[in-house]
Amino acid sequence: MINNSDVISTNVLIVGGGSAGLATAIELANRLKEKGQDKKIMLIEKGSSIGSHILSGAVIRPKVFEDLLTPEEFQEIPFDSKVSTDVTAKLSEDGEFELPFHPPYMSNSGNFVASLGEVCRYLAKIATKKGVEIYTGFAVDDMVYEDGKVVGVKTKDTGLDHNGIKQKNYQEGTVVKADITVLAEGTRGSLAKKVIDKYNLDEGKSPQIYSLGVKELWSVPEGNIEEGAVYHTFGYPLKDKSEFGGGFIYGLTNNRVGLGLVVGLDYPDPTFDIHASMQIWKTHPYVSKFLEGGKIIEFGAKTLPEGGWHSIPKYYGDNFMIVGDSAGFLTTARLKGIHLAIRSGICAGQTAIEALTKNDTSEASLSQYENLVNSSSIYKELYPIRNMRAVMQEGMIIGGLKMGIQLVTGGACLAVPKVEADMDTTKKLSEYKGIKFKDRFPGKLEFDKKLTFDKVTDVYYSKAMHDEHQPPHLVVNNPQEFQKINIEEYGLAEEAFCPAEVYELHFDKEGNQSLRLHAENCVHCKTCDIKSPNGGITWRTPYGGDGPEYNYM
Amino acid sequence: MALTIISLMKQVPLPSEMRMGDDGLMDRTKAKSIINIDCSYALEAGLQMKNENPEAKLIVCSMGPPSFEESLKKALSMGYDEAYLLSDRRLGGSDTFATGLAISTMLRHLGFGKGLNEDFIIVAGRQTSDGDTAHVPSQVAENLHIPQATFIETADLIDGHIEAKRIIEGGYQIMKLPLPCTLSFTPTGIPPRRPTLSGAVRARHSEITMFNIDDINLSDENIGLSGSPTIVAKVTNIKSERAPVKMAEGHNEIELIDSLIDNIKSGKNSLEVKETKAKKVKKRPEGFEEVDFRNGAKGILTWAEVVKGEISRPSLELLTPARHLAQQLGNDTKVMTLLIGKDIGQLAKELIAHGSDEVIVVDDERLEEYRILPFASIFEQVIKDKNPEIALFSATTAGRELAPRIAVKVKGGVTADCTALEIGEHINRKTKKIFAPILESKRPTYGESKLATILGFVCPQISTARAGTFEVPTPDNNREGIITPFSPQLGKDVFVSEIIQTVIGEGGLQNLFNADIIVAGGRGAVVDNLQLVQDLAEALKEQGINAEWACSRPVVDEGITEYARQIGQTGKTVRPKVYIAVGVSGAVQHIAGMKESDTIVAINHNIKDPIFANADFGLVGEYEDILPVLIDKVKNGFKFGLEVK
Repeated sequence: MINNSDVISTNVLIVGGGSAGLATAIELANRLKEKGQDKKIMLIEKGSSIGSHILSGAVIRPKVFEDLLTPEEFQEIPFDSKVSTDVTAKLSEDGEFELPFHPPYMSNSGNFVASLGEVCRYLAKIATKKGVEIYTGFAVDDMVYEDGKVVGVKTKDTGLDHNGIKQKNYQEGTVVKADITVLAEGTRGSLAKKVIDKYNLDEGKSPQIYSLGVKELWSVPEGNIEEGAVYHTFGYPLKDKSEFGGGFIYGLTNNRVGLGLVVGLDYPDPTFDIHASMQIWKTHPYVSKFLEGGKIIEFGAKTLPEGGWHSIPKYYGDNFMIVGDSAGFLTTARLKGIHLAIRSGICAGQTAIEALTKNDTSEASLSQYENLVNSSSIYKELYPIRNMRAVMQEGMIIGGLKMGIQLVTGGACLAVPKVEADMDTTKKLSEYKGIKFKDRFPGKLEFDKKLTFDKVTDVYYSKAMHDEHQPPHLVVNNPQEFQKINIEEYGLAEEAFCPAEVYELHFDKEGNQSLRLHAENCVHCKTCDIKSPNGGITWRTPYGGDGPEYNYM
Repeated sequence: MALTIISLMKQVPLPSEMRMGDDGLMDRTKAKSIINIDCSYALEAGLQMKNENPEAKLIVCSMGPPSFEESLKKALSMGYDEAYLLSDRRLGGSDTFATGLAISTMLRHLGFGKGLNEDFIIVAGRQTSDGDTAHVPSQVAENLHIPQATFIETADLIDGHIEAKRIIEGGYQIMKLPLPCTLSFTPTGIPPRRPTLSGAVRARHSEITMFNIDDINLSDENIGLSGSPTIVAKVTNIKSERAPVKMAEGHNEIELIDSLIDNIKSGKNSLEVKETKAKKVKKRPEGFEEVDFRNGAKGILTWAEVVKGEISRPSLELLTPARHLAQQLGNDTKVMTLLIGKDIGQLAKELIAHGSDEVIVVDDERLEEYRILPFASIFEQVIKDKNPEIALFSATTAGRELAPRIAVKVKGGVTADCTALEIGEHINRKTKKIFAPILESKRPTYGESKLATILGFVCPQISTARAGTFEVPTPDNNREGIITPFSPQLGKDVFVSEIIQTVIGEGGLQNLFNADIIVAGGRGAVVDNLQLVQDLAEALKEQGINAEWACSRPVVDEGITEYARQIGQTGKTVRPKVYIAVGVSGAVQHIAGMKESDTIVAINHNIKDPIFANADFGLVGEYEDILPVLIDKVKNGFKFGLEVK
């Protein structure tokens, strides 16, 4: 039950202004116009503006935009440049080998390199023009239920101090009641997590598994890289079999380069550090040659849901739908989720309009969403490779072979390993037998602040800011257990995996260890919520408007 | 009619994204914009007053391009009832004088002012991040002929009057003001609330009332460049590159400290000076008419601020540039100093010893403590009587509100917070005129990255000088000068505000902005909860140094000390003579808040930490071992190079 004095209402509420949420809004607005109906569509976004929390590679498959937008609108999409070169290379410590062919699903012919933030800003403009009311800088992490059913959300209360005590500028959050609530929060959405949990939407599914992508945007001297050039790397510095992932280097207009390293969070080494791996990766001559003489402009990090078909929860219920990364619509084999996010938004938008017309937003009515997804390109793309990510746990070679078999068999594969949640794959310090991360790269973990950066310096380039006057948005769920398990047994794996130095292991004079939390550094990647051993950390939304200020990520 | 709370608000570029156009004026087109921080505190102050007076109406007013609508909408979403924007291309280039006039004209047009609706309070920010002058609130108050209080931290509306806490050097005052009045707020009170979503929805569907200057009957010669008594003549970059750090060497803390002290005594490393081309000497164009716009105004007037019965140090410092200017002007130009207070006659000699030629003394028991209305009125009368060409104030909290209010009275310009004052000339190639001699007031701006030269064309040319920039002149007790008693006309109406209490001492962390030495503790200095850091600051104070202690962000995060002490991007930006960083690793965010310090000393256990790349003197060691030794040295007279001054 809600006991709030500040209540507003709308027909459709979309939580999250990324590609999925904006596509839902636009599709809905288009259909409303077709039908001559007048319904209120409200979209709220926690970033200070649309795009400020958007980060992607990105190489975009444009096809789906043609279905969402008019030809005139499609023409104006601010893609950065058309893919011109497309190379995949295997890196080793002392060299590289460019593959003479594209791995399956990896061809980027006809695709565009883009800043997804720019594309989202454009979509937001279109949505606004079509009557969608977009409110940025409002964070939500509570659903509102009535009679056990979703009826809307409540924005965060603000004006609390570090301990949650109301201050003189306290403002109660606003309850937004909606006929349909669409959760489009991106990976590991705080509300999606609650709804999935409340209604057991993941029953019978594999756990969702994730990758973390750490990205930098550079400005480089003319001639370092061609616009539209796309390079993907695998191998160095990642360890085959246990660290699944690779790097990307994209040539952008105005002599800019977007580059990053994406690594699966199902690795075992509790000291493994993806941010540091990305720094080491940049020192490989194959990568560093693109950056020579340049300087960093932006930094950011984001997780990607990579579980694929088997990890997608049921993504609708009474009065709500889940779209995009929040539902897990992403094709690992292509390293792409934007086109699926938009497709899911289109499906959700179409479902919503029919439901509103029928005045029936029940689960049965919204099950149309699943039908639409299953007859869309989402199914066609995800189902055949449903076992792909699971077999990659066995490494690029065996996994690659099994993947090849799947392509022949339409996705069936013998001996598919069981997928474990990422937080369960980390080994305790005492149980991890491999060489620890920092011993693998002697001398490479001193960052020169020209080519390579420590986390705090990189965070500076994310422009992340958080109001100091608020309860920490990273919640240690059980401080006693955290001390015993996460700190003493795992040596604070969070310190290693967090790309933004939010977690620090502090030693006092007597050698006692404790956690120091620097919530202000957070870039909202949510890795801690995903990877903390024993589910030690819950990532909650901080106040709206806080977090990174991405510009061209 | 119910009370109206009027908030004056300016939208500014995000300080990190500020750019300047080729004309030396702010280019507001590219940067992302926010509500000026101080203004957002004023907005909150207005909302707090409404809490206690629910029937009050809240309105927000601004002046600027239509893009300011964004911030006005935000104010509406925070809870304001109505928003007004004065927007007109003809306002472009307005200085603070013209801005103050335009805003007060708009307020009169809305029905507020003496003789109109008088049931109102104006709340404004202390200053803006893109102007940094703190002039406009004073100038609006003067134009509306209402009392004011600036540098306010909190204010309450009690029984029809305002009780406000005003931050002053090293302390605070509790003031009582009648309505109507203008209050300007520091960003240290109650932080601005965040808009609610319902507020944002309401704001989206509300209208903002736009005015152009014709709507409010403001003629265009009073605004824009033509209505502005000052112009920005030149803007140059300030370079702040630091030479490599000098590291202390030694095998134990005693040797290390001795080495550090030796290093400090022998001075910083110097940067390799790149050879620069000799500056072209600009030829004075021929055939231009030379204009002496002074019209007989002559002499330099300064204000001697009295605090606790003594002349404040910044007022003595002020005599250094005053004498310098008098010498440049030549022709027997005099330095006159206005001394106001109760039983202060004996201080006149001290002023003469420090460089005044004439001390004008106003001795009145009602003037024991500084209050803006009587002081501004006295200045107006003295200026009329003495007709000085230049008037200088130190940029203290009092000086920074008094100077702009006087400027409105004499219809002249004022330049805030100068670090250099010179006599020069201004060549206007369009009108083929040379204005000389003219006061060139130079002030750092745009986050201390640029030095702007401001010129005023009305006498007296008024400037405030940044405290600590100039040295106190060496006193000469044999210097001769005259002491002139002056009896101003002061009506009851200038004594409507009362000072209930003045507290000077600890507290008021504004002193961080004035301290000569700041000892800052970081995460690496918290084992004893910064006790040694505080001890070092205390030891310096005992040596008579204006020292203060501060900290970096993690220390505040951990609740060891209060936010007011935080230095850095999200805390205070300081520029003491010496900044001693203890256990501060030197994250870029911290460096941004202290990099303009004259000398930076870093004491830290990890040589790899970036603090050393940003310091002049470094010492690697455990602070628990090092600081006690250093404190002993301070107790024995070591003052980090400030001994000589």
